[in-house]
Amino acid sequence: MRRFVALVLAVCSTSAIAAVDPRTVPTQLPPAWQAKTRELFKQAIEIPSVHNRGEVPRVAHLLADQFRAAGIPDADIHFMPYEALPGDQTMALIVRWRSPHPVKKPMLILGHMDVVEAKRSDWKYDPFVFREEGGYFYGRGTSDMKNGDVATTMAAIKLMSEGFKPDRDIIFFYSGDEETRGVGATLGASKWRNLTDAEFGLNADGACASYDEQFRPLGCGISMAEKTFQTYFLTTHNPGGHSSRPRPDNAIYDLADALEKLRKYRFQPMQNEVTRAYFAERARQEGNSTLGQEIRAWLANPNDGAAADAIEANPLEVGLTRTRCVATMLSGGHADNALPQSATATVNCRIFPGVQPTAVQAELQALVGPNVEVKPDPNYIGVPTPASPLRPDVVKAVTAAIQHFHGPEMHVYPEMSTGASDGSFFRAQGIPVYDVDGSWGISPLDERAHGLDERIPVRAMYDDVHYWEMLMRSLAG
Amino acid sequence: MRNLLAATMLAAVVSSVASAAAPELTAQERQATHDMFEHVINTPTVIGRHNVPQMAQYVADQFRNAGFPVSDIHVIPYHTGSATTGDDDTAALIVRWRANAPSKRPLLLMGHMDVVEAKREDSSTDPFTMTERDGYYYGRGTIDMKDGITAITQAMINLRKAGFRPKRDIVVLFTGDEETNGIGAKKGATEWLDLLGHPEFGLNADGGGGGYNVDGSPAGFAMQTAEKTFAGYTFTVRNRGGHSSKPRKDNAIYSLAHALDKLEAYRFTPKLNDTTRAYFTAKAKMDKGPLGDAMRHWLANPDDAQAADFIEASESEVGLTRTRCVPTRLFGGHADNALPQLATAMINCRIFPGEDPNAVKAELERLVNDPTVVVTRNDDNVASLASPLRSDVTSAYTHAVETLHPGMPVFPEMSTGASDARPFRVAGIPVYGVNGAWVQVPTDFRAHGKDERIPVQSLYDNVVHWQLMLADLAGK
Repeated sequence: MRRFVALVLAVCSTSAIAAVDPRTVPTQLPPAWQAKTRELFKQAIEIPSVHNRGEVPRVAHLLADQFRAAGIPDADIHFMPYEALPGDQTMALIVRWRSPHPVKKPMLILGHMDVVEAKRSDWKYDPFVFREEGGYFYGRGTSDMKNGDVATTMAAIKLMSEGFKPDRDIIFFYSGDEETRGVGATLGASKWRNLTDAEFGLNADGACASYDEQFRPLGCGISMAEKTFQTYFLTTHNPGGHSSRPRPDNAIYDLADALEKLRKYRFQPMQNEVTRAYFAERARQEGNSTLGQEIRAWLANPNDGAAADAIEANPLEVGLTRTRCVATMLSGGHADNALPQSATATVNCRIFPGVQPTAVQAELQALVGPNVEVKPDPNYIGVPTPASPLRPDVVKAVTAAIQHFHGPEMHVYPEMSTGASDGSFFRAQGIPVYDVDGSWGISPLDERAHGLDERIPVRAMYDDVHYWEMLMRSLAG
Repeated sequence: MRNLLAATMLAAVVSSVASAAAPELTAQERQATHDMFEHVINTPTVIGRHNVPQMAQYVADQFRNAGFPVSDIHVIPYHTGSATTGDDDTAALIVRWRANAPSKRPLLLMGHMDVVEAKREDSSTDPFTMTERDGYYYGRGTIDMKDGITAITQAMINLRKAGFRPKRDIVVLFTGDEETNGIGAKKGATEWLDLLGHPEFGLNADGGGGGYNVDGSPAGFAMQTAEKTFAGYTFTVRNRGGHSSKPRKDNAIYSLAHALDKLEAYRFTPKLNDTTRAYFTAKAKMDKGPLGDAMRHWLANPDDAQAADFIEASESEVGLTRTRCVPTRLFGGHADNALPQLATAMINCRIFPGEDPNAVKAELERLVNDPTVVVTRNDDNVASLASPLRSDVTSAYTHAVETLHPGMPVFPEMSTGASDARPFRVAGIPVYGVNGAWVQVPTDFRAHGKDERIPVQSLYDNVVHWQLMLADLAGK
């Protein structure tokens, strides 16, 4: 589950410099490493590691092969098979790059190898055929997040080939069900802790930098807190019957009524330390724009619901002011010529940190009324997690690396992620995690994670390798 | 699909009419009827079991043994199948009983030989072994509709042996896939029309019939003269989707839900035709309450939409006042953490006879009034037409019912389901559902269901019923 690129408008509206299209700026990654990166990326994208297809182990072996070829001994490469969704036989990969003379506790680098389902019929081209076109790489997983898997792996083997010796162990942990159940990260933070224990983690599942469509840098948000993920099922029941004789009550109509209520409903606006810091920075950047004024009004008076609503309605700030719930799936009925006996909507909620999923369930139940059953997805009960402390070493290293590629106008800030990632399970178990991938995109054009025709700028993929190289040198060198 | 009787029981106020004793079958005729019925019930003519051709041959043999010329008996194998029903090698039977110097175009007799699946474990006795118990014959097809196949066949055999000579050709068409794809009926109304001699009208044993209430009072006999058109539509909404942590203002599921809310509130324009007018007239006589009042008001003023709405809202009259469309299935989304790119609803419509399914599509588009909701048709069914109320058929049916069931009310009805009659009505050949079987209402409404059965006497009465009908409609 990947949050979008940060949506921080970082440039004053008065700035008149002609912005350069960042996609056209040549990458600094040497051509030989570009070729290796492209080949590994192609192979990774073309493995359809969607849940239940049993393909994740192939990705794990593909990545492991790279580490092995670069000199990591088999004893430090661990394949960890496990079951995620019922019947989904998946796998995590744990690789330890040992320091010859460790002086600090290990550093963890996180990623996931699974991808969200993509249907051939919905896409313009086959989502599992890697394709380069118009300065982009296309395919399911190009931005969420085989780019991060490939960048972290490729950066490590490049450093090895250059003789770099880390001064702390670097542990690579790639899970196999982040998009569905997060069982891998749960195990990684608990049962497999002897293999993963670290001072902190850097999560490659979360590009931070982005540009707007005028190529102005929008900034880079380091995710330090996250909303709690919880899916609910809204179900209606009916005796049904023959469709030639419609009844006054109908499970599908009852569900449609509930969805109309959900569409109009807004949860109570909320703030916490991270979002206050984030919005303070946003207000500064926005200056006197309408959005800037609204943010200032809300920060001055957290009870100003109208200001919060206006902020939430801005496409740049969706999900940052409160809990949000949205209908994502529908099913109902059993035959074309029979009245439905039940209908179910899947409602996905991103709950403001600190709010319990049971409270949201009660709120949904009150909203839709007693005739609609509201139940949490029994396969995943969300647990609110604490924010990670702002570590100066991480912020300094990330800021230096980001600004190396994008200049000082690309500001780096704390932020709250609206999506949960594997980091949450480690945060919950006391390992702070920072979502700091180095790829980037044009917002909102390239925000296609989980959606159609997912893509990444070619240069962003190559930059990401170089970026992780810099981070590892800085934090483990 | 069989609509044995109007679902409401007419609380009949019947004047006891004295009538001549009803004709009865001879012991030999009764035995022959029993044996044929048992044989066809014991032949499991369910789709995919390839047994219909065998049954068609058996029934053909009964005609041949009774002296019908082989040249006028045709067993026609054909294939049926679709993605949802599976495939079957099935067959139709066509028998033509020629008149010497016919003065009118042929009379068509219709039925279907296939039955709906019945599982042994769901039934009290083996559904494909005819069992006589408590005054009933049990087995799959006993009322839908091997009773009708047997009755028509035995009635023709009896009449022939008795020396009856038809004044017009009587043509039998028994199909082999009415319960599934209706291909036999479509062929009958097109490529086999020459073989059928371009009949003037049809009598369908898969419709009509009647019964008695549990307290023994007559519940009425129905004559099916119209049926609604079955048509499926799909509402489709597409969206570019995205990550569910960042909800968009536009959402495929919400757009679909909004369209369904509009459909829920929508009512098509009420309509009357000859059949439903006669039906409601009969019903109104039986009902002195608010429902009867609403019928009287509506019949007096067909523009009284409020009265029509009241009738439509009554459980017993649902679907009889207008076109009805209802959502039956929903699909949407592809992952719980992704905004939906696609949401669809299946809309099942039962269209008032004579209305064009394409016009209904346009009406659905107008009521949804949202260009993001795309309305498409799931089939190419054409409008079903009501058959005109012919006085000769009405009179023959009423006479046959009166003879066997003195004082029994008779009324026309429009079926909300579909049957083999539709392609013939579409082709301009009126069809009347006029079977003569009777049951106890509603205890014996078991077509498609568990422990299907027919009262023993009803089977034999039905043979007599068809003899009376044929003598009346082809003997004058």
